[in-house]
Amino acid sequence: VAEFSPGLEGVVAAETAVSEVDGANGRLIYRGGYLIEDLVPVVSYEEVAYLLWHGELPNESELDALRQQMAAARSLNKAARGALTALDPATDPMDVLRTVVSAQGAAKSLTKPTLDEAIALTAVFPTIVGASHRRRQGKELVEPRSDLGHAANLLWMMTGEEPGSERTHWLDTYLVLLADHGLNASTFAARVVASTGSDLVSCVVGAIATLKGPAHGGATLAARNMLDKIGSAENAEKWLTEAHARHERFSGFGHRVYRTYDPRAKILREMAKDAAPDLHKTAARTEEVALRILHDAHPDRPNATNVDFWASVVLTGAGIPKELFTTVFATSRVAGWTAHVLESLSDLRLIRPASRWVGPEPGKKPLQLAKR
Amino acid sequence: VSANSGYVPGLEGIVASQTAISMVDCQNGNLVYQGYVIADLAEQMSFEEVAFLLWEGRLPNRSELDALSLELAGHRTLTQPARVALDALPTDTDPMDVLRSVVSIQGVEHRLAKPTVPLAIHATASFPTILAMFHRRQLGLEPVKPRAELGHAANYLYMMNGKEASPEVVQALNTYLVLLADHGMNASTFTARVIASTESDLASALVGAIGALKGPAHGGAPSAVIEQLELIGAAPDAETYMRDMRKRKEKFMGFGHRIYRVYDPRAKILKEMCRRMNPKFYELAERVEEIALRILHEEHPERPQSTNVEFYSAGVLQAIGLPKEYFTPTFASARVAGWSAHVLEQAAHNRIIRPQSEYIGPEPRKPVPLADRG
Repeated sequence: VAEFSPGLEGVVAAETAVSEVDGANGRLIYRGGYLIEDLVPVVSYEEVAYLLWHGELPNESELDALRQQMAAARSLNKAARGALTALDPATDPMDVLRTVVSAQGAAKSLTKPTLDEAIALTAVFPTIVGASHRRRQGKELVEPRSDLGHAANLLWMMTGEEPGSERTHWLDTYLVLLADHGLNASTFAARVVASTGSDLVSCVVGAIATLKGPAHGGATLAARNMLDKIGSAENAEKWLTEAHARHERFSGFGHRVYRTYDPRAKILREMAKDAAPDLHKTAARTEEVALRILHDAHPDRPNATNVDFWASVVLTGAGIPKELFTTVFATSRVAGWTAHVLESLSDLRLIRPASRWVGPEPGKKPLQLAKR
Repeated sequence: VSANSGYVPGLEGIVASQTAISMVDCQNGNLVYQGYVIADLAEQMSFEEVAFLLWEGRLPNRSELDALSLELAGHRTLTQPARVALDALPTDTDPMDVLRSVVSIQGVEHRLAKPTVPLAIHATASFPTILAMFHRRQLGLEPVKPRAELGHAANYLYMMNGKEASPEVVQALNTYLVLLADHGMNASTFTARVIASTESDLASALVGAIGALKGPAHGGAPSAVIEQLELIGAAPDAETYMRDMRKRKEKFMGFGHRIYRVYDPRAKILKEMCRRMNPKFYELAERVEEIALRILHEEHPERPQSTNVEFYSAGVLQAIGLPKEYFTPTFASARVAGWSAHVLEQAAHNRIIRPQSEYIGPEPRKPVPLADRG
């Protein structure tokens, strides 16, 4: 009988070429062998999505073709519009996303996942996130603009205004950074669903459902909420010391994988200075104090800042309200989810682990209802 | 299991959870719910009693069962958004996609709520309603209002058909629901636990599980059993036809299971029910089963190639009068009890489920700027 490894920690559940988290050296490698810090200066989100799906960066004509295909797939179908308008505008945006993606993908019969479906699904996320935001604000929905790139179109559909190049750049960089990250819980969920021979939409809906959890995708919002409570750089020392005394966890710190500074957090930290100067001040001081407190408490632990901490600052600067953080995370990660599902098709095998029985000894006889 | 232990395809043999909900005893061909062997439960317990057992760890007494029945009956309606979303889906939509979408929208009311038994009850109550409402819509008929005095199985059939089913048919569906209510760490249950492990909510876990159950390697194949039997039945000689199928590398539907080394205890019960209720199906199915097992044994004498639960399920569900597109959704209507029990158990002893992957891509290299790419 195999050992029980809680959380499957240390168990290798997949072979993948989509991405690699080299936690010991603080490296994130995307498909093709590219380090994340080398990609960020030269690629847009669409190029990274292409890379994750194909294994190579696109040339100009391939990129143009992908942009056109995505721009043409930004509309919701009738079932998805029906589900969207049925929902109370105050509904949690992740619940909107889970439901509307499910309805958009509702089909007559099951089909094998394809690259075209991956592109179409990725293209439609900003439409749902934008619509969710407009409805929360009681505003009319904004139609997508096919002349805008993926990041710019998301901001356009949220605000109805063409975003400046800086905002677009901050959001686009965030989308590039979060597009894949090894076998995280939501990606793993997508691969488990795929392993049964299910369709791509079911995989993506399962991944959204997983990302929704506060212990996974909800962490960016939690980091921003903590920064809101701290309020100013001056208050960081007092707030964190008191929170630590109450045994509260610091949101945005600690990661099961990285033993050094998360390379994505490093890039976002730099960008945060320009994207949100005021919040950056609070965040920088918060980070300094939090790392000191955590190190004093657990000198043995690599309690580094995680990506959620600085992502919360950059997304704020890009104009994303915090209720949408997790949906924007999903908007990025859907490229990785679908790349993993497509990759898994080449050697599909049902993922069905074992469980260890800790219940009563089998064979007890049930009592008749009247005798219980 | 330590880090760098190597890739374990399909996580086969890896213990992902401890559980007290159900145990699949593969050597002896037993399925055990909370200590009770399935054969002792199948034809004696109502689905409601078994659902209580899975959620609470013990069988209910009379007043607890009455309270559960009342709670289930009180939640057989859909929310207004769920009804609107259901009506917006095209009538030729796969009912599994309907279920996935409508369970999702029905769940928005309990955003990130901690999973509880009442939430499990409400979700379980809603599955038959969603399926029946959509089925009626496909037929161009008005939805049928649920009847509180009917049990879970009886009410499902009543809402599907607009009339009460016979006691024999209700009993058969009830037994099917009991048999399929849980089955260890199968792929959909595991999906639900992975989702719950991030502290996501019950509706999210169920939506993911429905998506996993849809796959033909899991729950999505019982209708394929019927389609294949029809083809074999129409052939002049079943054995010749089936041997030709294997030459074309076609799978026999309803055979093979990663877990059991002997006959699946559920298949045994369903086979007997099928014999009683669906003699026409049974006659062909039994012959096909005999040939299939013989051919599979010739091919792989070392493999325990046994009949799986889907094979005779198909005949039972057909005899119950369910359309074949509703076979897998009816499976989901049983398994939702198990899924939600596992989510409750996961939440009570939680740790995020996050295995590792092994990188098999190229060594790190530098990206070429767009203009320089060939």
